[in-house]
Amino acid sequence: MAVQAAAKPASRDARRHNSQMYDAMRRLAQNKTAVLGFIIILIMILLAVFADVLFNYEQTVIKQNYAEMCQGPSLAYPFGTDELGRDILARVIHGTRVSLSIGFAATIMASFLGGAIGAVSGFYGRRVDMIISRVMDMLMAIPGTLLAIAIVAALETSMRNLILALTISSIPKFARITRGAVMTVKDCEHIEAARAIGARNGTIIIHHVLPNCLAPILVELTISVSFAILTISGLSFLGLGVQAPRPEWGAMLASSRTYIRDYSYMTFFPGLAIMLTILAFNLLGDGLRDALDPRLK
Amino acid sequence: MGVTSTAPLLQVNHLKKYFKTPRGTLHAVDDVTFTLEAGRTLGVVGESGCGKSTMGRAILRLLEPTGGEVRFAGEDVSKLSPAQMRAMRTKMQMIFQDPFSSLDPRKSVGQTIAEPIRLHRLIRGKQERQARVLELMETVGLSERLVNAYPHELDGGRRQRIGIARALAVNPKFIVCDEPVSALDVSIQAQILNLMKDLQEKIGLTYLFITHDLSVVNHFSDDIMVMYLGRLVEKAPSEDLFSHPTHPYTKALLSAIPIPKLHRETKRILLKGEITSPIDPPNACRFANRCPHATDQCRQQEPPLRERAPGHFVACFNQ
Amino acid sequence: MSDQKRHGSLALDIQGLVVEFHTLDGVVHAVNGLDLSIEQGTTLGLVGETGAGKTTTALSVLRLLAQPAGRIRAGSIRLDGEDLLAKSEQEMGKIRGKQVSMIFQDPMTSLNPVMTVERQIAEVIAHHTRLPERQAVEQARQMLETVGIPGERGSEYPHQFSGGMKQRVVIAMALACSPQLLIADEPTTALDVTIQAQVLEMMKQLRQTYQMSMLMITHDLGIVAETCDRVAVIYAGRIVEYGTLEDIFEHTLHPYTRGLFDSLPNLEDRTARLKPIPGLMPDPANLPEGCAFCTRCAYATDQCAQHRPERFYRTQEHYAECHRCRQICFEKGGSAVWE
Repeated sequence: MAVQAAAKPASRDARRHNSQMYDAMRRLAQNKTAVLGFIIILIMILLAVFADVLFNYEQTVIKQNYAEMCQGPSLAYPFGTDELGRDILARVIHGTRVSLSIGFAATIMASFLGGAIGAVSGFYGRRVDMIISRVMDMLMAIPGTLLAIAIVAALETSMRNLILALTISSIPKFARITRGAVMTVKDCEHIEAARAIGARNGTIIIHHVLPNCLAPILVELTISVSFAILTISGLSFLGLGVQAPRPEWGAMLASSRTYIRDYSYMTFFPGLAIMLTILAFNLLGDGLRDALDPRLK
Repeated sequence: MGVTSTAPLLQVNHLKKYFKTPRGTLHAVDDVTFTLEAGRTLGVVGESGCGKSTMGRAILRLLEPTGGEVRFAGEDVSKLSPAQMRAMRTKMQMIFQDPFSSLDPRKSVGQTIAEPIRLHRLIRGKQERQARVLELMETVGLSERLVNAYPHELDGGRRQRIGIARALAVNPKFIVCDEPVSALDVSIQAQILNLMKDLQEKIGLTYLFITHDLSVVNHFSDDIMVMYLGRLVEKAPSEDLFSHPTHPYTKALLSAIPIPKLHRETKRILLKGEITSPIDPPNACRFANRCPHATDQCRQQEPPLRERAPGHFVACFNQ
Repeated sequence: MSDQKRHGSLALDIQGLVVEFHTLDGVVHAVNGLDLSIEQGTTLGLVGETGAGKTTTALSVLRLLAQPAGRIRAGSIRLDGEDLLAKSEQEMGKIRGKQVSMIFQDPMTSLNPVMTVERQIAEVIAHHTRLPERQAVEQARQMLETVGIPGERGSEYPHQFSGGMKQRVVIAMALACSPQLLIADEPTTALDVTIQAQVLEMMKQLRQTYQMSMLMITHDLGIVAETCDRVAVIYAGRIVEYGTLEDIFEHTLHPYTRGLFDSLPNLEDRTARLKPIPGLMPDPANLPEGCAFCTRCAYATDQCAQHRPERFYRTQEHYAECHRCRQICFEKGGSAVWE
């Protein structure tokens, strides 16, 4: 064989071959605060999924029970009961289901739409990019919450419209982040190499560009979920979001704020739930950013 | 492909690639004409910004040429439709400079090498394709167990071998090598150069070898062309060029190579003067500003490329 | 080898330097017992491949290792007889730029893009001399003239200069306080050959005018042949061969050094096949017990794999760390002939 023999084995080859994503997740697992955030989110997801098993929606969550109204935290009602005698714990847990499902649905839709728009804009550049970027700039000029309020107010308040509003207000952020990442990646030689072996633009975007833009999008995804949850609570607090009697943290805050002097626990627990959720997503997001940062490699 | 041994495999005629910049038109490649016969290696040397990489990419239509034609085996590449061009890419391939950025970090070695085979549907069966990937890996000296490794786990030399295997996957006739060894350490550089030479002998490849390293190009190429600011200034068989450099720029370039030997005899020509801007260059010899022998004629006219000796072309009035 | 008498004439004396980097994936042994000395007014070429520990050694001298990962585990670094490892961070601040300066590979990253070049040079001067600003700027312009840039261009910004000019500015900045020792880390790798020739020529002249000592870090044996008096070949964090230019080029001892020469294309015989060194440098996180080069060496024996080689001195100065050198040298009488 005329070709030079392969190099002798170096020790690192004996290792399992790990993709970059795997390595990043390994780094993430070593970050204590991020793991804490992840655990909180995991618990919340489990609570949301098994909310019906824990508390019956019809019987405990929405059924008014004047006999038990305004009771402070006790063994029977660890979070107490509200002004209509409903178990606050049950309502907070069922509220998780509402917040998380709307938050995730809106963010995932926004990331797909925004990601696609940003990818096209960044990859093709020139006029396409000009037009898309200006439209995104216009959307971005309107504060996200305000935009959501406008959309919900113009249509009507329903879960579907809420998700739609949050999706639209989150699209520009994903578009911008994806566009930036795509613009960096598309100048790499491996994109040119893909073109040199005869790959079409679509193949290049899907197989070579987007997988390499995943890191910033993933970070934005976590941050964006927390933004969405906060916005839902805000809208519900204003009466534009989830409607009674469906339990939602923001709506619970709104209805209990009249009793804040005498029964502060009524506002405390939904508030705590919002805070914990936002904190958890932000911790995870920060951890992800560090873990995915190539400079740490 | 019906290429007879006498007809050149690659014919480049008056190739031009201009870029629009805010300050004017950048003449990256300006009116370059040359031919390359099958099975030979043409070295392209020049300093950064001379347009050598741009030319390689314009030939492969990774950049659309502004003007001129590129004939590959008699066919005008610049007139092909996108679909025809994709098919053409099985005959013309490229090896890139940077083994770190030229591989997709999210694809394993096997995936990267299999991709061109998949794209062109060269081999249908999954198992046959995998067998071909392993065969290619053996050809370029990569051990089989690296098939699932990712580029970031490997050193520069091995990554460059992956790049070579990917180029070979479609059985090309012609490969543009854009500084394939300049990012590597000398001992690894020698491994890759030997590999490329062996492949040429075995498969009968034709190379366009772009580099700034003069000792490498001398070792590797049959013919060498020297570029300066988008222009072809001298082209000659390697031996001829190194023993009788004719263009003043070539002379300066050759004298500037640091030679790893004690007591060198040759006198170094140190260039002075500012480098002419390649943006809207004047109608003059582009080297005139730094040339020790420049005359008024050099500053008023562009010197044409003329054959001084058989196979030895120079673009200079004074030689 | 480290008798007190020699300290007086040595610009830089590194003994037994051990540098480790603590990373998530384990401890990387970048430098493993490195000895290096530069006599006053001479240039030492430090030659080796990527990852051999060249830059780490240089950064250790300036005490600029990446923190907190990089640690100097053992050894001593003496600059003009003074122990640098015993200095406080504040004292080091006075030494850097004043007594020892460094030029980095990429001129673009060593210059501040939003500051005129004369101000950047003046800043260094002002930091070490307490000259008033106007005088410092004046001196900065003189420095620019010394490196062949018209003084009035000092009021321009780095992006207005070409690559070669930027590297000249960096050199002017490094020389602004006439340091005794200049560390040049691949100063011309980012430059074109014709520009490289100009810069190297200029550096040679400046070294003579300023009577400096220089540590020239490079992978290019051609540059070594042109600029250095002595050569140290570094492999896996140790000096494997050391000697005068003539020793290294004409009486090569170590098989690694031999391999480096053989890997280079020969300008005189263009068809000669290259003889690369097979394999790769060992992973610095996982070094072999014996000679670090043994896995790539055609002459290696069991002894090489098990024991770290002692130095074999061919002359008083010229040595190589190799078990087989001694044997082969004795056999062939005088100079090692590897075949």
